[in-house]
Amino acid sequence: MTDVHAPQSQPESVAAEDEATHSFGEGTTGAAESGTGRTPEPQAANAGWLRWGWRQLTSMRTALILLFLLALGSIPGSILPQEGTDPASVQQYYTSHPGLAPWLNHLGLFNVFATPWFAAIYLLLFASLVGCVVPRTFRLVGSARTPPPRAPRNLARLPQSSSYSSALSPAAAVEGAAAVLGGQRFRLRRSAPDSPDHWVSAEKGYLREVGNLLFHLSLLGVLLSIAAGGLFGYKADKLLVEGQTFANTTSALDEFHPGRLVSGSDLAPFTLTLNKFTANYIESGQSRGQPSNFDADVTYASSPGAKPGTYHIRINDPLSVDSLKVYLIGHGYAPEFKVTGANGKVAYQEATPFIPANTATFLSDGVVKAPDASLGFMGVFVPTAIPVNGTVESIFPAADAPAVSLIGYSGNLGLNSGVPQSVYQLDTTGMTKLSGSPYLLLPGQTWKLPGGKGSITFVGVKQWVSLAITYDPGQVPALVCGILALAGLLISFFVRRRRVFVRAVPAASGSGSVVTVGGLTRSDASGGFEEEFAELATEIAAAEPDHNKPDPGNNSEVPGA
Amino acid sequence: MSVNLGFAQASSDFLTAALLIYSLAVLAFAGDYAFGRPRRTAAAKAAVPATAQLATVGAGSAGGGSASDTAAPAAPVVPAAPTPRAGAFKAIWEAGPWVRAAVALSMLGTLAHVVAVTTRGLAVHRAPWGNMYEFITALTCVAAIFFCYILIRYRAWPLGVFVMGAVVIALGLAEALINTPAGPLVPALQSYWLSIHVTAMTLATGIFFVAAVLGIMYLVAERYRKRVAAGKAEPGNGLIARIPSAAQLDKLTYRTVVFGFPVWTFGVMAGAIWADQAWGRYWGWDPVETWAFVTWVIYAAYLHARATAGWRGARAHYIQLVAFATLMVNIFVIQIFITGMHSYAGVS
Repeated sequence: MTDVHAPQSQPESVAAEDEATHSFGEGTTGAAESGTGRTPEPQAANAGWLRWGWRQLTSMRTALILLFLLALGSIPGSILPQEGTDPASVQQYYTSHPGLAPWLNHLGLFNVFATPWFAAIYLLLFASLVGCVVPRTFRLVGSARTPPPRAPRNLARLPQSSSYSSALSPAAAVEGAAAVLGGQRFRLRRSAPDSPDHWVSAEKGYLREVGNLLFHLSLLGVLLSIAAGGLFGYKADKLLVEGQTFANTTSALDEFHPGRLVSGSDLAPFTLTLNKFTANYIESGQSRGQPSNFDADVTYASSPGAKPGTYHIRINDPLSVDSLKVYLIGHGYAPEFKVTGANGKVAYQEATPFIPANTATFLSDGVVKAPDASLGFMGVFVPTAIPVNGTVESIFPAADAPAVSLIGYSGNLGLNSGVPQSVYQLDTTGMTKLSGSPYLLLPGQTWKLPGGKGSITFVGVKQWVSLAITYDPGQVPALVCGILALAGLLISFFVRRRRVFVRAVPAASGSGSVVTVGGLTRSDASGGFEEEFAELATEIAAAEPDHNKPDPGNNSEVPGA
Repeated sequence: MSVNLGFAQASSDFLTAALLIYSLAVLAFAGDYAFGRPRRTAAAKAAVPATAQLATVGAGSAGGGSASDTAAPAAPVVPAAPTPRAGAFKAIWEAGPWVRAAVALSMLGTLAHVVAVTTRGLAVHRAPWGNMYEFITALTCVAAIFFCYILIRYRAWPLGVFVMGAVVIALGLAEALINTPAGPLVPALQSYWLSIHVTAMTLATGIFFVAAVLGIMYLVAERYRKRVAAGKAEPGNGLIARIPSAAQLDKLTYRTVVFGFPVWTFGVMAGAIWADQAWGRYWGWDPVETWAFVTWVIYAAYLHARATAGWRGARAHYIQLVAFATLMVNIFVIQIFITGMHSYAGVS
C-alpha cells in the first residue's frame, strides 16, 4: 500500500482489517501482496525457491508486466512485413535494408507471432493465469460452503450504514431484518440464540467470482482452440482462370500450408470449376472505378462422382463444402495468347494470368513463355486503354477497351536449367530482345515477329480468381470459448459481491431497540451498491410493524434523510 | 443503390448544426466556470468529515457538486439523495443559468448529431460508418450521448467543458480534413457484420474517449490534491477546485472503462467472425487486428492494475491513457498509413 491516497479512493480498504472483509474471496490482490513481500525460507531452499518462483509468476504484478510485454511484443508484427501474411514484402525489405534485415530476422521480427519469445510471453501469462484461477476456484468453493462472517461490532464504521429505532426487542428486530434479507436470497448467518448479542450477517453475489473464473478459463479455451486449429487445420490457395477445373490435391494447389499434424492425404477430395467471374465497378461520380460487386460462379462436387452443385462465391459469402470453406480473395485478368514458332506450329495457346500492378485501374503485368518456339514475352495488360504520349494507360478497372503491350524475346528461356522459375517472371539473361519499343495489340490482332521468328496473337480476355481453401477445426471451439469469456466478463462486471449486517441493541429508554444496518462491497465495478444498500435499509426499516423511519443521523444515505 | 441526395444534404446540414450547438455548449460550460456560483468553498470541503466524504463518493459529483449548492451555506453537509434520476432536472435547474444553458445545448446538439448520423445512413442505405469520416462522426455521437447520460446520472457538468470540448475538436477536425461525401461501399464491406462489428467498435471507442478525458482530469485533480497536501497549493483555489475530486473521477473513469471493455471485447469477436467469413480466417494478425488486441490487453492491464497494490491511482490512469493512445494510433496511423486488410479509411 504505497499509494498515499488509497484510504480516500478505496473506501473499502478502511475496513480491510475488519473481520467483515476477511476472506472476501478476492484472491489475486492477496496473492500479489503476499507474493511480492516475502522472501523464501532459508532452510527448505529448493522447495522454497520453487514456491517463491511460483508466487512471483502468479502475482498480479507479474501478470501486469506480462500483459505489457504481450502488447509491446505484438507491435513489431504490425509494423514490419510478416512472413505469414506478406512474404513478398519481407523479400522487398531485405533488398531495401540489406544491413538491418538479417538482424531483425535473427530476432524473429519477420514472423513475430510464431517466435519462441512471443510464445514464451503468452505461455507464461497463461501459466500465471492458471496459477491464479485454480486456487481461486478452490477458494470460491470453500466460501460457498462456509457461512458469511460474523457481524462486526461497530457497523457505523462500514462504508455504508444507517440506523433506526425499533419498538421491537433486539432479537425480534434482527429476526425481521433477516427475513427481509433472506427474501432477497442473501445467505444468512445469525447470532447464537442464547447470546446477548443480536445480529445477522448476509452475503450475496458469489456469481461474480464465477464469472471472473469463467472469463479467465475461457481465454485459456480460446488459446487451446487456436492451437488445435494450428495442428489439425490447413489453408491452401488456388488461382483459377474462367473455364478451368481443379481437384483439391496438394499437387493442384498453388500454395498449401498444412497444420503440424496434417498430411496431403487428409485433404477433402472435392473438385471445383470456375464458370464465370463478374466484377462490377461504379461507372460515374466521385467513386468511379470503385468495385461494387464481385461474383464467382462455380460448379463443385464434394467428391469425384458426387452430384455437382453450383454456387456464387462472393466476398463475405464463402462456399462451404463438407467442413471446408472456399473464399474469394483476389481476382485479375488472364489475356489469352496464341504463339506460333518459326516453323508455323502453335507452340502456346493459353489464358495467361497477369498480376494487377495497380488495383485502381487493374493495369496488370505478366509473362508468356513458349519454350517450344524459344520465345518469351513480357506484357502489360490494360483493361480500358487510352493513348497517352505514345503509350497506353488504363483509366478504368473493367475490361472495356482491353489492350496488351508486349516486349518479345527469343532464345533459351532457361526452363531446363534446373533452377526453379516463377511463372510471372521471365529470365532474359540468355535471350535477345526482338524490338526496341513495346508492341501494342488489341483483341484479335497478331504481331508478326521480326526475322521470321513466328507470331503472337492476342486472342481475348478471360478473368481469374484467387481462392483460399481453409479447414479449421478450432473455429467452433474458439467461438464458444469467446462467447463464454464475454459472458463471464459481463457477470464479473455487473454482479457485485456484497455483505449486509444488521445489529440491534436495547434502546437507552428501556423499551424497544436501536437497529444499525451496515454494508460493504469489495467489487462494485459497475457501481450501484449505494443505491441498493439504501433501498435495503429502507425495506428493513419498513418491515417493522410501526414503520419507523430511518434515523437521518450518522452517515446515512437513506432517501428521505 | 444510389445515394439519396436529399438525405445526404440534410445529414451534412445537421452535422454543421450539431458542431455549432456543441461549440455553444462548450462556451456555456466554460461560462459556468467563469461566472457560475462556486460549488464548494475550501471551508466546506475541509469541514466534511472523512466518513461523509466516503459515503458520498458513489453519488459521483453529486456529493461535491449540487449538494452543497442546494444546501444553505450554514447547514451541515447533507449528502444528496442517491436516487439518481428523480432529482436530476431539479439539480440542473438549481445549478444556475450557465449550467441550464450548457445542458440544454449539449442535448440539443446531441439530438442534431443523432439526426445527422441517421440521415447519413438513410442517404447511403447502410450503416453510416463505412469510412474514417463517418466513423469519427459516429463515435463522437456515441461520446456525446454517453456524456449526456453521465451529465444526468452523475450531475457531471464540471466535466462538460472537457468532454464536449474534445468532441468539438474531434468532430471539427473530421469535418475540416477528411470530409467524405456519401457513397456506396466496396464489396468487402457489404455485409451485415459491418453494422455489428463497426457499431461495437464505434460504441466502445466513444466510451473510451470519455474515459480518457476523465482520466486526464483525474491526473490533474490528483496532482492538485497532492500539492495541497504538501502545502504547495492553496486549497479551493482556481478552476481546478471546481472539478470533481480525484476519488470521484477515479471511480467514474473505472466505471466508464468497465462499460466500454465488454463492448470492445464483443467488437473484436464480431470482427473475428466477420474476418472468418470475408477472408477465411478469424484471426490473422493484420495490423489493425494486432492493434485492437494491444488496446484490449492494455485496458485489461488497467483493470488488473486497479486491483493491485502499488498500481492504483495515477499509475493505473496512465495505463488507461496508454490504452486509449493505442486506440488512437490504430485509427489515425495504422488504418491510414499501414497497408493491411482493413484499409478502408477512404482518406487519401
